[in-house]
Amino acid sequence: MNDSELNQLLKSAPTPPRSDEYWTDFPGQVTRQLNRPLRPERPAKNWLPRLAWAGGLAAVCVLAGFILGNKFGHTEMAGNGQSLQNEKLIHEVMAMFPNRVRAIVKDESGMQLVLSESEDVPTSTPLWVKVCRGNQCTTLVTFSGQELQIAGQKMTVLADSGGGVILTGDRFAWASDGSKSGAQDLKIQAKPIQMASR
Amino acid sequence: MLAENDEQELIRQSREGRAEAFTALVSSHQRMVHSLTYRMTGSVAEAEDLAQEAFIRAWQHLDSFQGSAKFSTWLCRIAMNACLNWRQRESRRGEVHETWANDAFSPGPDEGARAASGKLNEKVQAALNRLPVKQRAAIVLTVYEEMNHAEAARALGCTEATISWRVFSARSKLKRWLKSTDHE
Repeated sequence: MNDSELNQLLKSAPTPPRSDEYWTDFPGQVTRQLNRPLRPERPAKNWLPRLAWAGGLAAVCVLAGFILGNKFGHTEMAGNGQSLQNEKLIHEVMAMFPNRVRAIVKDESGMQLVLSESEDVPTSTPLWVKVCRGNQCTTLVTFSGQELQIAGQKMTVLADSGGGVILTGDRFAWASDGSKSGAQDLKIQAKPIQMASR
Repeated sequence: MLAENDEQELIRQSREGRAEAFTALVSSHQRMVHSLTYRMTGSVAEAEDLAQEAFIRAWQHLDSFQGSAKFSTWLCRIAMNACLNWRQRESRRGEVHETWANDAFSPGPDEGARAASGKLNEKVQAALNRLPVKQRAAIVLTVYEEMNHAEAARALGCTEATISWRVFSARSKLKRWLKSTDHE
């Protein structure tokens, strides 16, 4: 079942019908109660610890949900970001958002999906990129031509005709053949991911 | 549906306390709000109460409507918050949903009869009820209200990326749960 079929199925279940009389009366019912007190909003006390827990839990859930939900229990989630090279994972995410996936990013806060507003990301070979500044690393899968914020810098990721990867930023350029200019504080690795099928 | 200018005028008059103008706004958006509250609760009665509550909250907070988003998006946000708050207040509801969802999905002797009798609505709503509430909200807004991810993010007060994740996750589950329904 694809997205469009799911939408069709969901929409094929209408809400229960109501009588014309109900729709005629409802606005009046609301108007008659405009000055009644409402049930109080949720109290705001103790929100900081809750927020901290919720944030931590959400990060864990997103990561776990992403991996487990997509049946990648076997995939190692060690800090080297090898999971992002999993072909099945990439295929499934791309299938869910055809031509909208700009990047799948993994950093210390977990995994994130960067999507384009419209289906304007051309189909091409996925590129695996790892950028480290000190001990902080960001690993991602993206596609040639995408401009992304990585390790605090805006970078454009490009594939060259020889199967290499080039990263360019405001004040640096890096290529997988070893050439580098600027950004001495960054350690970069990148390579195309060879997919068995597209 | 009201023309945008008419709607702006009704909002202006409502802010001045003219209830009849607000009645016209309710009339214009009542079906959308009822649909949203029903999808979120799976209960006709609760949907009515929450729709009413949402409109009353909207009346009381009209001054906070800036006009940067569509009135319907702002209203959706209020209705959605009413549903989410209701979920917290009525925690027992989770048990009701769980029971309903389990009944709807457990294979049994009536499975064939269920398919034959075409209880599609029940099965779809049960699948929605089975989703975590925030994922359900994301599906309700993006599928039923046909909002794009940016609008849904505004309505739910979260980032677009969060909406994308919730929709992605919810779709995966719904496809799995409704797989058999697809062929009925």
